[in-house]
Amino acid sequence: MPEFLETTVDKFTFKVATDRFYNAEGVWAKTEGERIRIGLSDFLQQRSGDVAFTEVKPDGTQVAFGDEIAIIETIKVNISLSSPATGKVVEINPIMEAAPEAINQDPYESGWLAVLEASEWEADRARLLDAQTYFAKMRAEAAEQVGKR
Amino acid sequence: MTGESRSRKVVIVPCSGIGKTYGSVSREAAYVVTEDLRPAQTQLVALSMLVLGDETVRACVAANPAVTIDGCKLACATKMVLESGGQVAQDFAVLDVYRRYKQFKPQGIAELNEGGLRLAQALAEEIAALVDQITPLPLGEVKGVKDG
Repeated sequence: MPEFLETTVDKFTFKVATDRFYNAEGVWAKTEGERIRIGLSDFLQQRSGDVAFTEVKPDGTQVAFGDEIAIIETIKVNISLSSPATGKVVEINPIMEAAPEAINQDPYESGWLAVLEASEWEADRARLLDAQTYFAKMRAEAAEQVGKR
Repeated sequence: MTGESRSRKVVIVPCSGIGKTYGSVSREAAYVVTEDLRPAQTQLVALSMLVLGDETVRACVAANPAVTIDGCKLACATKMVLESGGQVAQDFAVLDVYRRYKQFKPQGIAELNEGGLRLAQALAEEIAALVDQITPLPLGEVKGVKDG
């Protein structure tokens, strides 16, 4: 189980897993040897709403950093997620077809989206945010959104 | 079949979420069931009346099986029926129903789009089938079926 940074904004509590990196929109990337597992941050999934469907790029697809890696349809919005790494999709979470709500229920573990075979990880990692930096960014965004309500 | 099973009605309690697409789907489905598909076997109950503690409505819910339709995971309709002493025969979540009918993407609030209306119709037909299981009609009685 990962450790978390946690903050409560208004009535919402958000967690950020400390064992991975994040892109600006809130897609996380966790290294597993030569591979990168990706998914949505807790903040991104809560902000987006209950997930109805996911469409992840199929096995074998080559993506560059920032390319669209998945589309998620929630009860609120359709969001296009950009890849936090360059490489090839080698695995898609098999439960996404039948139980995409795993993204909402367990965003850092069973709700992962895909695994990439990264080809430029060192360069990509330098463009991502570490957990502390993402936590600060997320907290500011959450406070701003609550202030708008 | 007993006289008791014929006299009972199934109460249909939809989400009261105003300003939410999935709430509108839940209410539209409830209207289709109670007004078009199974008017003789069902009774529409406004969730707001349960929230306000209306005694007549609470008694109705307590005395009859309920089908709840929730627009979000807060499941207010289901919770209020249980808090009112009722029994939920089945709870439907609009999101789960939509996952079974991906082709009917609901949009709109005050006025649902075509996808939302068709999703509501599909949900209503599932509820109507459930109502038939709960309160079977006498042999030969014809149920109203709306073309969809």
